[in-house]
This record gives sequence, structure tokens and C-alpha cells, in this order.
Amino acid sequence: MTHQEIFLGNGAIALGLLEAGCQVVTSYPGTPSSEILPEVVQLVRSEDLNTYVEWSTNEKVALDNAFAAAVSGKRAACCMKQVGLNVAADSLMSAAYVGTIGGLVIISCDDPGPHSSQTEQDTRLMARFAKVPVLDPCDPEEARRMAGLALDLSEEFQIPVILRPAIRVCHARQALLLGKIPRNGRKASFQKEPGRWAATPKFRFLLHEKLNRKLKEISRRFDGLVPYNVHNLTAGKSYPLGILAGGVPYAVVKDILSEEERDDIPVMKLGAPYPFPERLSEDFISACDRVLVLEETDTAIEYFLRNREKVLGRLSGHVPSQGELAPETVYQVMDRVLRSLELAGLKQSGQGEAMELVKGLNLPVRKPTLCPGCPHRASFFAIRKARPKAIFTSDIGCYTLGLNLGGVDTCLDMGAAITMASGFYHSFAQDQIDQPIVATIGDSTFYHSGTAGLLNAVYNDARFILVILDNQTTAMTGMQPTPGLGIRADASQGKKIPLERVVAGCGIDFIEVIDPYNIGEMIQLIKKAGDYVKDPNGGIAVIIARHPCVIAYRDTAIPEKVKVAVTDACVECNFCLDRFECPALYKDETLGRTAVNQALCAQCGVCIQICPKEAIVAV
Amino acid sequence: MKKLNFILSGLGGQGILFMTKLLAQTALNRGLKIMAAETHGMAQRGGSVVSHLRIGDVAGSLVRAGSAHILLALDENEAYRSLPFLTRGGRLYVNAPVGVSVRKEVWPYLERMEMTCRFFPASETARELGSPMAANLALLGFFAAFQNGPLPGHEIRQTIEQASPDRFREINLKVFNRGFERGSTEREKAQGL
Repeated sequence: MTHQEIFLGNGAIALGLLEAGCQVVTSYPGTPSSEILPEVVQLVRSEDLNTYVEWSTNEKVALDNAFAAAVSGKRAACCMKQVGLNVAADSLMSAAYVGTIGGLVIISCDDPGPHSSQTEQDTRLMARFAKVPVLDPCDPEEARRMAGLALDLSEEFQIPVILRPAIRVCHARQALLLGKIPRNGRKASFQKEPGRWAATPKFRFLLHEKLNRKLKEISRRFDGLVPYNVHNLTAGKSYPLGILAGGVPYAVVKDILSEEERDDIPVMKLGAPYPFPERLSEDFISACDRVLVLEETDTAIEYFLRNREKVLGRLSGHVPSQGELAPETVYQVMDRVLRSLELAGLKQSGQGEAMELVKGLNLPVRKPTLCPGCPHRASFFAIRKARPKAIFTSDIGCYTLGLNLGGVDTCLDMGAAITMASGFYHSFAQDQIDQPIVATIGDSTFYHSGTAGLLNAVYNDARFILVILDNQTTAMTGMQPTPGLGIRADASQGKKIPLERVVAGCGIDFIEVIDPYNIGEMIQLIKKAGDYVKDPNGGIAVIIARHPCVIAYRDTAIPEKVKVAVTDACVECNFCLDRFECPALYKDETLGRTAVNQALCAQCGVCIQICPKEAIVAV
Repeated sequence: MKKLNFILSGLGGQGILFMTKLLAQTALNRGLKIMAAETHGMAQRGGSVVSHLRIGDVAGSLVRAGSAHILLALDENEAYRSLPFLTRGGRLYVNAPVGVSVRKEVWPYLERMEMTCRFFPASETARELGSPMAANLALLGFFAAFQNGPLPGHEIRQTIEQASPDRFREINLKVFNRGFERGSTEREKAQGL
């Protein structure tokens, strides 16, 4: 019995995995991939399936675990954002040579823009580098079918396959037809074959040879992979311009051509761009005088086209090399290219006028900011007060917004708060410069990749204060659980591994836990930590600033609510607005001073401690 | 059926996503195809939220700038910010307090582009009925009163009835209906002129 339901793209992927009999799904949260695992959990519950799900501590861990499941013969998947694949890259490269028995699909979600990533790198290039096939869906329904295709291909050719949905697929919604999902009863088994599973360099050479043969076969398969790799040429006809597009840009092009009624422009869709379908693309290109390539975010397709003279794209400067290819951008590119080739342009004009008008209105800038009541705000305030001249190395999470309070100086990648702290320390210490350093990192980020850097820092005697901002969740990506409280992906209780234990295991002797809401105490503690760091017999000091996230623990994070107001003692110095930056505090023009927006105020009462004139009071 | 493009904009926490889901489900119930896109992540941390909803046989989830037929805005500033999405002849419904009207800098553009702009105090309406967080439903009701097309008001109402949790159903419908009444009154006034 089937019925229609609106699915989020990530939910469609979850559905596709389970429909294809996936028995193991691992993941680490990262926009735009974070919803896949929770959607799997929901479907497993509602369909009474027996799929194993896991929030892994990082992406490499997720991939290795899924890989082993696939080696044991089961269909497995791991999910991450595109930069997470960088973390898992070591495993991926090796896994490509070794292959699996059961299908293995690696879902790596791209973020053109970027909207919330350190890069807008293209997962399809990673697939090319790793030498594994990659599928690029253009909408949720296609992503669902490609999840199954990826597992089928992976199993047939015994090679990991990457599925690369971009954010506009992951976070799109579309109606899907649902039926019953059967359970997969495959049992685990392991056949010893050290020449493959523990292959040493001599064997790796042979595996590489095998891999190359697989890729050639898959490339031929991709030449005829309907409906993912197709073109709409009329046989025997030639065209002045053709468009080669894949993924989300393909959907945009399809809509534009249909609205504009341009059946004079043929399109080739590349939903499976690597191994590159040489023959199919050659058929298409030879029928066109010029070809415009529209893909995101890099030249995965364009790079494979040999006749450069015909190709218009990023390399020729016709398509922007950075940023998302929003529909209006694609429209402008197409229009410009058509006119430059002296063909009929597109019908509508641009939105330049409206954009100019809006710019001139000086609308308030909505920069992202920490929530009212966020414990990180209190932590950054205290850190800056206690150590104003320090270098503030930081990391990736909600707390990166400590930037707004002047508490974040660097942010490179996961775990770099600690590694850059030790790097800065040694660089300054070499010149006998006493440069204070305070590193801030979140709890989930610390479990992800804090330990290697901390061990190294202790081992090589670096000196800095590390503040672990423990809000007991992975907040920015949607409140996923961590080993700190031990809650697992299926909501069951796993083993609790508190931060104190891990930090002690890294060789740290100064470990103190504090509630950052007590700003005065935290400032004192940071000063004490600073003395310890400076002491020749001391070392790295770790402060765990622990207070639950006000969104994840809405009912318990602020047990005693305190209503606050600003009195006439306010001298409009703006210290609170600049250095505490709570969204509930604002400048009231009529009153002529700072005021509290009671609708936004979380009633945490922390702001009472920060006004130099004591003008914020409990009421 | 021709395609219909919506842009819904506002601030994180105003229920833009819920509004989008209601319209999408209403369309689905009528056997129409839909594609929608939303912004995630920073929405909870004070940021602007923009939701795209496309009804009809479309391939992409994003509405192209200059091709939205309807713009529903729960915040005045966000309405202006998403104005470039609106197409010539498009309609704009904005949640703004009583007494607020279109900024003078924008008026000539709206006239020239033949856009209809209606302001409605959705937040106040919802607050009056004891449900300050339901401004989204008040605006939806107001908008529904002007709808002839593929999403008739009574079907949107039906979707709200089906989609609302038990404890919110009655108040949700109350707020939607009040918005719908106000919208109907305004529509009749406009037609009478």
C-alpha cells in the first residue's frame, strides 16, 4: 500500500538507503548532512527495521566502522558534510583499493556558497582523487534512487561509491511515493584474505591495477546510465550551443529552458560524472559548436573535456569560480553566453534595480549571534576580562560566534583551537616572548579531534589555557548527542565518558570544572590557571566551562529564572552591547539608554554581573 | 497548470517552516507537485529565514530572483530584503503593526512593477487571541482570503486542522480564521472601490 508524503532531501536519502537494504549507518553531524541519521532512526522505528545506527566521534571513525560492516558482507553507509570527507580521506583512499563485499556508500554533502563551511570544495573532485564512482543527484527523489544505485554498484564492482547531494537537495522538500520497506536479513561473516584486507605495498600495486580495470568498466556503464547520464540531442542534427550540466545546476537549467521554451538548446545531464562517461559526452560535444558547462562547485566535468576550444565554463571565465550558482546567476550566465554567440538571448531582464533599491534601504544587518542565555557568551566575556591580551585560538561550533564578543581570533578546522595554541606557543617561546594564549573548543569538537592535539601539546610542553565549552550537546548542527552524556543515536543510554576523564588521560594535571554563569568565579579561575601555565613546574591548564545549552535543554538549562531590567543608572557606555552582545539587550532610542527586550530575554540573569555601573538589576 | 512560486520570509522562530509545510501539504492534497527549499542552521541564532515553495511541474527547489508570484513576510525588514524575488505583477503580504505603511523609497518601484502590497498586523491579531507565536497563521489566513487559485482558503484551513497537534488545533484555527475575516473585509473593500 503506497502513499505520498513530503520528504526532506536528507529524509529521501535515508529512505533510499533503507529501501536498498542498508543494515548499518554511521555519521558525524555537519550541515547539510546532519538530518540523514535522525531520519534513518525515525524510519527504522516506524518500519520496525533492524538497522544499526551510530553517531560516531568523527568522520574517519564513521567511515572505518561502516567499511568494516561492508567487509563483513552487509550493506553500509556513512554520512558527513564535504569537509568531513577530508577527515575521512585517509580511510577513503585506502578503501578504494581494497573494496568491500557488501555495498558501501559514502554520503558527502556539499555546501556551495559556502553557507556554513570552511570551504566550498567539490566532493566529485575527491571522488576523482580517491578513484571511486560518484553520483550527483538533482532533487530528493533522485537522491533516494541514487542511494540504492550506489549500494548496488558498490556491491557489483566491490568498490566504495560516493553519493554527493548538495545543500539544495539535502534541504529541499519534495513529495515521494512510499511503500513497505523489507528487512534485510543478511548475516555478518568474515573471510580471511590478508592479501586483500591487510594488503601491503606489493599487493597494493595489484589492487590498484584491479581498481583501474573496474573504473574503465564503470565508465562504460555510465555511458548508458539512464536516466542519470542522458542527453536530448536529435540524431544527425547539429547545434550552435549545447549545455552540459549536473546535479542542482541541471535542475535550474531545465526549468529555465522550459520557461523560455528554448528547444533549440540541447542539454546533457551528468548525474554520474566519474568515472567520466567518455563516449556519451563525445556524442554530445561533437554535435555542438560550443558547449556551456554548468556544475558546482568546481570543474569536475569541465576538466574532463578534451576539446577546450569548444568549452565555455569556469576555466574560460564564463562561469563564476566561487559562490553558489543561484538560479539568477545561471540565468545571467546563459543569457550572456547566448548573446555573445549571437544567438537569441533570454526574455527577462535582471534584478539589478531591486537589489540596488534594497541596498539603499539600509536594512538592519542580521548577523548570527549566540542565543539569549547561551553559556558561551558568559565564558567569552570572562575570558576576555581575565586575559584581554591573549591570542584566542578557537574552533568550529556555535561558540565560533564568540567572534562577536572579540573572543575568537582564529578558526581553521576541527581541533585547531588546541593545535594552533601549541603552535603559537612554541613560535613565541622561541623568541622568549611571553604571549598569553587562551584556546576555546566545544565538547563535541573536543571528542572529534581534540585529543591528538592535546596529547601533542602536553608531550612537547606547550603552555596555554584551554577552556572546553561544555554545553553537553553538538549544538550548531541540531543538538546531536555526544559521549559526554553517553546518549546514542537511537536514544538508548551508551557509556558515559566525561571530558574530565579524557583530559586527564591526555596527561593534564590542572583540570577544573565551573559553571560559566558565575562570571566572577570564572574570571578568578582563569587567572589562577594563568599562574599555573606560567609556573615553570606547571603546564597546560584545562577549564571545563559546563552549562547545558539553552535550546537543547530548554526546560532545565535555567532552573531559576531572573527577570531583569536596565535602570536610569545606565550611562550609555554601550559596554554591555559591545562586550556582552545579548540579543535581548538593545538601545532604546526613546528612553535614551539600553533596555531589555522581555520577549527575547531568557532570564538567565547573567547580565546583572557585567554592567560596570550596575545598571542591570533583577526586578 | 502554470507554476506558482512563493517566497516566505521572516526571522528564526517565527514559524516560516510551518507555514511552508501547510501550503505544501495543501497543494499535495490537491494532487499538485511541489518543491521547497529552506535555510537551516543560523535561523535559530537570530538570522533571516527564507523559504521557497514552488507548485507545479518544476525541477529546481529555489525560486529565481524576479519570479516569485507571492511573497509572505512575517517581518517588515525581511519583506524589503526579499523584494528582489518578486515578479512583475506579484503580490506581497507583510506582517506589520497598525499604522505602518510602505516605505516611500519603495513605493515608486512597486507601482512601476505593478506589484500589490498589503500590510496586516498579524502579530497583534495573534496576540489579541492569546497566541502571540501564531502570527504566521494570522498572516496565512489573511493571505488565504485573497486566494482564488490552486490553494483555496478552506483547503488551507483543512490542512491546519489535520496538521495541528490536538492541544493547538482550536487556537490555530481561531487565529487563521481571524486573519481570513480581516482579509475578506479588506478584499471586499478593495473590490467595492
